[in-house]
Order: sequence, then structure tokens, then C-alpha cells
Amino acid sequence: MLEKTYKNLSRIWAVVFAIGFIALVMKFLTGERLAGYGSYVPWGLWVALYFHFVGIAGGVFAIGTIGYVFNLTGFRENFRVVIVVSVAAVITGLFSIWLDLGQPFRFVRILYAPNFGSMMAFNAWMYSLFIITAGVIFYLTLNKEKQTDFHDKKRWMLPLMALGFLFSIAFPSQSGAFFGVVDAKPFWSSPLLPILFLASAITSGGAVLLLVYTFLHYEEFDLTHQPFRILRLTIIGGIIFYFIAEFAEYSLVFWSPNSDIREAVELILFGPFWWVFWFVHIGGALISLYLLLKGKTYQTVGTGAFIVAVTFVSARLNVLIPGQAVAQLKGLKEAFTHERLRFDYSATLNEYLIALFIGAFGVALVYFGIKFLSQFTKKRLGTSL
Amino acid sequence: MPEETKQKSLFEKEISRKDFLRTAGVVGGGVAVSVAAVTAARLSPPPETPTGKETIRDIPDFKTVEVNEKSDLLLRMQAELKKALAKPVEERKWMMVIDTRKCVGCHACTVACIAENKLPPGVVYRPVVQEEIGEYPNTQLRFFPRPCMQCDNPSCVSVCPVNATWKRPDGVVQIDYDKCIGCRYCISACPYGARTSDFGEYYTEDTPELQPYELLPNNEYGKSWNREGHSSPMGNARKCHFCLHRLNEGELPMCVTTCIGRANYFGDANEPDSLVSEMARQSNQIKLLEEKGTKPSVIYLI
Ligand code: SF4
Ligand code: SF4
Repeated sequence: MLEKTYKNLSRIWAVVFAIGFIALVMKFLTGERLAGYGSYVPWGLWVALYFHFVGIAGGVFAIGTIGYVFNLTGFRENFRVVIVVSVAAVITGLFSIWLDLGQPFRFVRILYAPNFGSMMAFNAWMYSLFIITAGVIFYLTLNKEKQTDFHDKKRWMLPLMALGFLFSIAFPSQSGAFFGVVDAKPFWSSPLLPILFLASAITSGGAVLLLVYTFLHYEEFDLTHQPFRILRLTIIGGIIFYFIAEFAEYSLVFWSPNSDIREAVELILFGPFWWVFWFVHIGGALISLYLLLKGKTYQTVGTGAFIVAVTFVSARLNVLIPGQAVAQLKGLKEAFTHERLRFDYSATLNEYLIALFIGAFGVALVYFGIKFLSQFTKKRLGTSL
Repeated sequence: MPEETKQKSLFEKEISRKDFLRTAGVVGGGVAVSVAAVTAARLSPPPETPTGKETIRDIPDFKTVEVNEKSDLLLRMQAELKKALAKPVEERKWMMVIDTRKCVGCHACTVACIAENKLPPGVVYRPVVQEEIGEYPNTQLRFFPRPCMQCDNPSCVSVCPVNATWKRPDGVVQIDYDKCIGCRYCISACPYGARTSDFGEYYTEDTPELQPYELLPNNEYGKSWNREGHSSPMGNARKCHFCLHRLNEGELPMCVTTCIGRANYFGDANEPDSLVSEMARQSNQIKLLEEKGTKPSVIYLI
């Protein structure tokens, strides 16, 4: 039964990967021609995915570190999994934003000629330093007396973990700041944005971690045990918190005289993509809440976590797109018309297929990361990851 | 013992004072380095633009026409341009004034700009925004040609992750296409929608043959840019630069030259007697989206 499920899942993965790969090749052959974003809505689905994945990375690492430091059962011995998943998520996010660049092969300029005053350069450096820090922590976990010990032999675990934790909290909040500094878009200049981003990062990060643990430990799967219990509670709490904060923001807007923000929120709730908010965001959250609260088997809980991990990208989309869809200079849209000079955005088939590829790429990184490093740790420690 | 208490004591037991200090040092150091990096970047000067004597341009005088108070405005502005170019770059400050009462909304400037800079489909530097006052049929139209405002406090510059765009000493906000990675952050950050991205399209691409005029290089920023093979400025952010390549040769921006209504004034804001400074002092002047704090160098007369 289980083998069959795995086989089916890997078949789905292979199909998604293959189709996405074809779309990717087409993108490289045609530049940005097949993408639906333009100059008035310059960021689309891939940018939303980028923020989603770095959020997941931050969420996974933050939860993993808290579990490790407070010695919650299952966290210390599984910390290498946390590292692999969060690094894989950062790399996937960076891959996603790399695809979005107009001149992708110049991306290294961010590393050797950065302007740290730009949140984009600051973040790119932060991700790189995070990957290095996570790599060193991985190495330190191999130098412990016992896997349940806190410290490595040289006691550098705590300082580096704290640094990693700082990064992981900064990822989502910096993402909020990334938008917040853009005065041109009033909808983005909200102090609540970094908090919403952090909440969604913790929620979707918890969901991904739960999903991975479910795959790794389905034989001992017991919801009353750690880390399943704490992860399930984290996701449920995260969803509820996110919706309270979101309700606070949206409901206030309807009293606000600032019509730009109101226009953006109206677009989210009743615009052409109303279904993203009501079906994907709210619907997805309600279904996953039900599955996470009521589920008793690893299949149902895993499905709930999967839905959260996927549908929470709508939280990013609902910030990204409506923020850009309201023109500051009225009449600009009509002044010169072209497909790329519109204030509405719909992702194209190519963008969707590449988005699937990005997801499949992330899954592959986690899968092969765990597999490859397990062999390494088996040799070194005699245990798998 | 309750589990919670047990965990707490475990936590306390595991972290020594030395661990704590080391952690505080690493985290504090990390935060300090980050703050220093951001502050230094915010305070650092813009990329080198040549200044001083070598930037003085000696433009020949008009030989066939006489310029006096009765001359066409273009001739006067042309003569003032020559004067401004005789100063080092840091002593000039380009400014544009657009008289909306003279603009008839013909879009000639938009088209002239497209021709001058060989702009591909979807890239526009100077669209003409139309404002309708009143309700049909009792309406009045007003036109706002919208070039880049060459803001004194440009929100597009600070967001660029690779310093590919900066404010020049003469006030023009420049983009270095060779540095730009095409992230489009600046496009998002400009409240005027003045930047557009070059998506690599051609007007004649669905015809039997790409027309040669579309394959010609353009001369923005005084360099020859050829888009073939996804080369810059394809994939880059693009915007109006007050025709810097023309200015440096003593020519007015293309939109100013083309305007059939003589609705555009252009010149050196550092010269109080210039026509543009004169117009900028009018009491009916406004700036677009002034509340954004961008301090535009384009002024409208209403
Ligand atoms: S108008 Fe926009 S692109 Fe031009 S300088 Fe101002 S902020 Fe930058
Ligand atoms: S698109 Fe180019 S100029 Fe604009 S912010 Fe990105 S790298 Fe800088």
C-alpha cells in the first residue's frame, strides 16, 4: 500500500518535473516573452514563490531551532533534517527569483558589487550567509558526543544556531521590509506586513517540516508524540493568528480614507482573482485546519500540511499583486497601451508550468539532500540523517 | 516533576555563561555588521560620473540664424543649452517645464522619443496622460506628458541592488545597462511608472521580416546599444534620460524639439535667467505626486 503511494507520488513528481522542464527550456529560448508580467505589474508568480520559499526556509529553521534549544523530543536528533529542508527551501526560492531576472547571468553582481541599502542585495547576502551558517551547523552536529546533546565538542553550536535563528526570523520580516520600503505602493507600506510574513513563514515552514517528518517517520507516526504534536499545534496556531492579523488589516482599511489601500483590498476580495482569496487562501486554510484538527492518520495530517504548504503562497500573491495593480498616476494605463503596460496580471501557462517545476525542484533537493547526506552520516555516525 | 520544569532546568544547565557571552558576541557582531553595511551604503556617494573641466563641451555657435527675444523658443533654449554646456557637469542642473495649457495631446513627443531611442514595443519613456475634468458631455481635457521626473530624491535609485542606477551631478538619473540585472525593483519603486522593462519584442516580429530600422543600435547615454542576442538593454529597466546623448552634443531633448505646441521648456535650472527657470517660477506651477517626497525636476504649468 505504502509502496504504491510512493510510486504514484514519484510518478506525479516525474511528470511535473518533465513538463516544467520543457517550459523552462522554452523560457530560456524566448527570454521573458512567455511571461505575463509587464512594466506596471513587474513582479508575478515567480516572485511570490520566491518569498514563499524563503519564508518556508525561515519558518523551518526557526521552529527547528526552538525545538532543539528547548529539547523537545525528536528535534535534536532530527536537526540535520531541519537544516537540509531549510537550505533546500532557500535555494529553491533563489532559483525562483533568478528565473525572474531580465539578465539572469548577471546575478553574481549582487554578490560582488552589492548596494546594501537595497533590501534585495541585503537579503541576497543574508541568504548566502545563512546557507554557509547552516552548513557549519550541519558539520557541528556531526561532532557531538550524543545526538541528543546540545553542544558540539567545541561548543560553537549555540552561537551559530542563534545566528541562524536570527537569519530565519529576519527572512520573512525582511521580505516584509522589502515591500515596505517602496513608498510608491501604499498597500505595501504597512507595519503589519513583516508580521504577516513572519506568521505565514512559521505556518508554512511548520507544514513543510511536518510533511517531511511524516514521510520519514510514518511507521512511528503518532500524533500525540513529538515532533508531530508541536508541529501540528504550530500550524493550527499559525493559521489562526494569520487570519486574525489579516482580518485586522482588511477590516481597518474599510474605515480608512486612503483609497489606494482600499482599492487594493477590494481587488483582493472582489476583483477578478477573488477566488484566490476565497477558495485558495480561505478555503485551503479551512480544509487544512479540519484535516489537522481531526486527522488521525499520517495520510490525512500529511495532506493537511501539504495544503498549507501550497496554498499559503496565496498569502504572498495577495500582497504582491494587488499592491502593484493600483496606479499612482491615474490615466497612465490609457496613455500608452500595450500588453506589458497593464495594471492587471494573470500568470501565463509558461509561468504556471515553471512554478510547478520550481516546486518539483524543491522536492528533489529535499529528497536527494536527505538521501545523499544520510549515506554520509551513516558512514560517519552509523545513523541516517 | 512536571515536564515543563524539567525542561527549564535542563535548558539552564546546558547553557553556561561562556556559551551565553559567545552567542551574544556572534549575534551582536552580526547585527552590528548588518547595520554598518546598510548605513554605509545609504551614505556612500553615487558611482563615478566624470566631473570637472573635462566635461565642458564647446558647442559651435549658430551661423545662419540670429537669436533674439523674438526668436522661436527652441532657438533661445538651444542657445542657453550651449551656455550651460560650457560649464562643468556639476554646475548644470537640467530641468523641464511642461505647459499643460499649450499641450494639445497630439502624442508627437511620445512618438519622437520612440524613434530617437529606438524603443521596442512595451517600452515607453514619455506617454501623454490625459485628465478629464467634469462629466461628459461637459468636460475639459488636460494633458500631462510624463517623462522621467529625474527626481532629486529618486526612489528608484536606493532600491537597486547593484548600483546600476544613480543620480548624476547634472540631475539626470542614469541607468547603466551593462550593470543592470533586470530585477525590476526600480520599476516597482517609481511612483510615476516612469520605468519600463525591455521584454525583447519587435514591432515587426510577426511580419515576414524584421525591419532593419528595428535592428539599429540606439545611442542612449552616448553609447551604442545593440539588442541582438538578448544583449542590453533587452532585459533591463529603461527610462527617459532627457536625451542625455543629444544634450551632450548641444541638442535639445527630442520631445522638446518635436512639440508642435512649444509646450516644453528645457534648460539649466542653475541659470536664473534661462527660459526654463523663468517658467519654473510661475505661480501656476505644480509637480506630480509631490507628496511622495521624490522632488521631481519636471514641473507642470496648469
Ligand atoms: S520619475 Fe521614477 S524613474 Fe524617474 S527619477 Fe523619479 S523615481 Fe526614478
Ligand atoms: S532593474 Fe536594473 S536598474 Fe532597476 S533595480 Fe534592478 S538592477 Fe537596478
